[in-house]
Amino acid sequence: MTHRTRKQALLLVVAGALFATACAGQGGDSDNNDNGADTADDNDSGGDQGTDEGNSDEPITLAWWHNSNNEPGRGVYEQAAADFMEANPNVTIEITAQEHEDMLTRLNAAFQSGDMPDIYMERGGGELTAHVEAGLTKDITDLAADAIANLGGVGSTYEVEGRAYALPFTAGAVGFWYNTSLFEEAGITDPPQDLDDWFAAVDALKAADIEPVAVGARDGWPAAHYWYYTALRQCSEEVLTEAVNTLDFSDPDPCFLRAGETLQEIIAAEPFNAGFLATPAQEGPTSASGLLATERVAMELAGHWEPGVMEGLTEDGQGLAGNLGWFPFPEIPGQEGAPGALIGGGDAWALSANAPDVAADFISYLVSDEMQQTFAENNMGLPVNAAASDSVADPALAALIEPLSAAPYNMLYFDTQFGESIGGAMNDKIVEMFAGDATPQDVVDAIREAYEAEQ
Amino acid sequence: MTTPTVLAPPAEPATGRQRGRRDAYSGGNPLVYVLALVIAAASLGPVLIAVLGGFRTNAQLAQNPGGWPDPWVLFNYRDAFTNPAFWQFTGNSLAIGAITTVVVVVFGMMAAYPLARYRFRGREALFTVFVAGLLFPATVAAIPLFILVSQNMGLSNTWWGIALPQAAFTLPLSVVILRPFIAALPNELEDAAMVDGSSRIGFFWRIVIPLCWPAMVTVGVVAFVQSWHAYLLPLLLLQGDMRTLPLGVADYSSEYSADIAGVFAFTSLSMLPALVLFLVFQKRIVGGLQGAVKG
Amino acid sequence: MKPPAEPPLTGATTRKGRGSRRDWRKAAEILFFVTPALALFALFVIVPVLTAVQMSVYRWRGFGPLEDFVGFRNYASVLTNDVFQGAVGHTMTIVVGSILLQLPLGLGIALLLNRKMKGQGLLRTIVFVPFVLSEVIAGVIWFQLLQPRYGVIDTLLEAVGLTGPPQGWLGDRDFALWTILIVLTWKYLGLPILLFLAGLQSISEELYEAAQLDGATWWQTQRKITIPLLGPTMRTWAFLSMIGSLQLFDMVWVLTRGGPANSTTTMVTFLVNQGTERGNYGIAGAASVILFVIALVMAITYQRIFLRRDTKEAGR
Repeated sequence: MTHRTRKQALLLVVAGALFATACAGQGGDSDNNDNGADTADDNDSGGDQGTDEGNSDEPITLAWWHNSNNEPGRGVYEQAAADFMEANPNVTIEITAQEHEDMLTRLNAAFQSGDMPDIYMERGGGELTAHVEAGLTKDITDLAADAIANLGGVGSTYEVEGRAYALPFTAGAVGFWYNTSLFEEAGITDPPQDLDDWFAAVDALKAADIEPVAVGARDGWPAAHYWYYTALRQCSEEVLTEAVNTLDFSDPDPCFLRAGETLQEIIAAEPFNAGFLATPAQEGPTSASGLLATERVAMELAGHWEPGVMEGLTEDGQGLAGNLGWFPFPEIPGQEGAPGALIGGGDAWALSANAPDVAADFISYLVSDEMQQTFAENNMGLPVNAAASDSVADPALAALIEPLSAAPYNMLYFDTQFGESIGGAMNDKIVEMFAGDATPQDVVDAIREAYEAEQ
Repeated sequence: MTTPTVLAPPAEPATGRQRGRRDAYSGGNPLVYVLALVIAAASLGPVLIAVLGGFRTNAQLAQNPGGWPDPWVLFNYRDAFTNPAFWQFTGNSLAIGAITTVVVVVFGMMAAYPLARYRFRGREALFTVFVAGLLFPATVAAIPLFILVSQNMGLSNTWWGIALPQAAFTLPLSVVILRPFIAALPNELEDAAMVDGSSRIGFFWRIVIPLCWPAMVTVGVVAFVQSWHAYLLPLLLLQGDMRTLPLGVADYSSEYSADIAGVFAFTSLSMLPALVLFLVFQKRIVGGLQGAVKG
Repeated sequence: MKPPAEPPLTGATTRKGRGSRRDWRKAAEILFFVTPALALFALFVIVPVLTAVQMSVYRWRGFGPLEDFVGFRNYASVLTNDVFQGAVGHTMTIVVGSILLQLPLGLGIALLLNRKMKGQGLLRTIVFVPFVLSEVIAGVIWFQLLQPRYGVIDTLLEAVGLTGPPQGWLGDRDFALWTILIVLTWKYLGLPILLFLAGLQSISEELYEAAQLDGATWWQTQRKITIPLLGPTMRTWAFLSMIGSLQLFDMVWVLTRGGPANSTTTMVTFLVNQGTERGNYGIAGAASVILFVIALVMAITYQRIFLRRDTKEAGR
């Protein structure tokens, strides 16, 4: 189970979550109508093949699956499709907005049957590589060249052998979200910088009778993030990049074992919420996110989706608004990794192999400056397009922009990077470490064995 | 496509018995009533918490998860009731359940009849094939089934596309339940029918079906309840207005994950039809399992 | 394998061999009756199942053609996987535990419900309610009840001065499987009650009257008459319960996802995890075939030991 619920997070960014199911469709009536049409035209004149198809009279239908099944995202996307269809009268876009986990299940089935939507979501890394190798995903390097240039490249996450296969529309990073008033109550003035500070904060919170940290270890990946970060801190960029790219853990650098040892120290300090092994990540008020949102714990290691998730988990739809702070994973004394490096990832639009070329124009439009600004203004997530950075309305999300741009390097979540199979085996072993059952060596062995089984 | 919930016929169908006279040892003992209360509380408690939760506000639920509604609020149920999607989903679930039930009962009866009352080579082998279907986890077949239904048959997003595979997976159970019932009909009945000049097909229509009615009801209720709860296959095959209630419930609870009270109301309502059906047929089911012969 | 209860060969038996025309007609009748069910079953059950079997000898990621033939390697990797071995253990615990808990409870409640008392019909309905409830909904309700500290169960325990496990009923590896077993018992107890009640109806009234004349107490009557006569029903129920337990999935998935730290995985959660979650469809296929073989062996063994006797008894 990779970051399935992460994107659910984004779709839970709901201001007025109490609207009835039926009133979909009127969300994003912002001023992007004209912009939308213009952008589509621009792209048409840029992408040659797109022009041919987009302007011919032949009717084309595009199937588009996304997971923004709540307002405002749902309405924003309906508007975007309507604008594009107006500019390209021969194109009809059929939108299927669905709950995130359901979308993943159905995408899986679609991959297997080959009967795929034209436009769908990718997370990059090993998953994308597998899809590309199976010939499921369309090469958009040339079709969306303008949009790619406008984004400053799609990044290695969405490339396979130098070709681009998806256009990212949101990206973010994992760090500690914390309740500023609970920290104050425990007498913690500054957010922890290094691990010693962090342990001190945990002790202070416990002394104030506050549960320090929530982790949704039932879902695997929230616990696994701790190991990703201890590895990111303990290993140098060079060692990590090579290991991540070659997946060769047959003779691992000792820094990976130190990563496990550091994590064992963290677990030994018993900072986690009662029942953390059975705690889900984001489902309901008793999930890790729910505990943070309802002020039952002081902090949680989670990604950029967290403020949105918490809004969905509180009755007033506000989450921890006003009391929410963010600090990066603490630095570890003696670490070989560069301070400030981040673990993160995002989502991107991809096309199925036999999607019409005009679909590339549409996803180019979706990541255009205007659409990314709309995306940011509606709190649908952190945009990737730098032109939209200033439009991020949510102060909690805006807090992430600076660390993201200042980071010396970013790594994709290891499980996404490694692909479902190896990633799943790794996460499983890390959870066993949380249960006190696995050693640092076991985690490395699990990655190696899963990799060997793939060959 | 859940694990089959199974019912079986009595291995000892009795002949010539009357219903429910147990005057010999009636209750009346206070201890019996206390026990009965405990059992009722244990059975119903968790369900009641969900039903009552629908009458509470989210704030009440957060404060005391197990408390009594105070004050009682009706808007959670009203919202679910007045939600047109709820009725749309209910309609789909009912239609799919009805098709599944009819197919299972009719085909199951037809298959069980020769398996019970004809002697032919390969009979046990055929029965074994059906029974082996019980031993294979249906979850595994979901993806191949999806490809078959959506691509080879073009039945995705239709009632039949869900109902037929579901019926196929419930058939083994139906055959396993019905066969011994039909077998237990005394030979004299068949001989008498033959003397009257009836063929074995006539015997099936005029004698077997009326006598096995209770058993058919049992099979039908099981098939309907399973169809009512099915999740994975509908999820893969149904979209938009064609979705069934469990999909609607899942959607509702993720869309309004903060609205626990609303989710309780929605789920409580969605289990109602299956409960009502069970209540209506409760006597039949117990009766249906008593054995096929009525004096 | 043999059916759980082979029906006695009846009237048709004696009419064997009455000329070819009759045989032909008989064959046509059999075909007429069996074909619809068999066609449906073959198309929607056998074909997909064979596809799964085929998957099990390939390394397949869930898309593209089946090309990478690996023989029995998936089987070897499932059988040597310690999570799968654990899953077999947990599944067997559930198989045995379900029977040991539900048999006496189901029997006791069925005997109680069989007594004439006020509200009998209502009570019968009430005990079936959990059984009619969908697994997913039941799981969600119990998940909330079992929350550590804030959950209803821990709140109730606290009220009488007890505390639940610090990590919660589902968060503690020593409790999680047993907690699931209790929830399963709650959910499925309706089935044995239903069957036993039906079996009780079929026990002849005269036997009880005779026992009463002999001055037997209620308990003596149950022990000497009712329980032995319910034997075949109990053995049939246990068979069905065993098969159901072997395929346990929904409730575990909702309550723990197989955790904490794989302490509640079952064979089916393992194969779903490998298949849908990790895209190792070949391994999932192999696990499902292994599960089928285990179920088959257990079914045959059970049949040999327990059900054969019933079959003979039934051949009146």
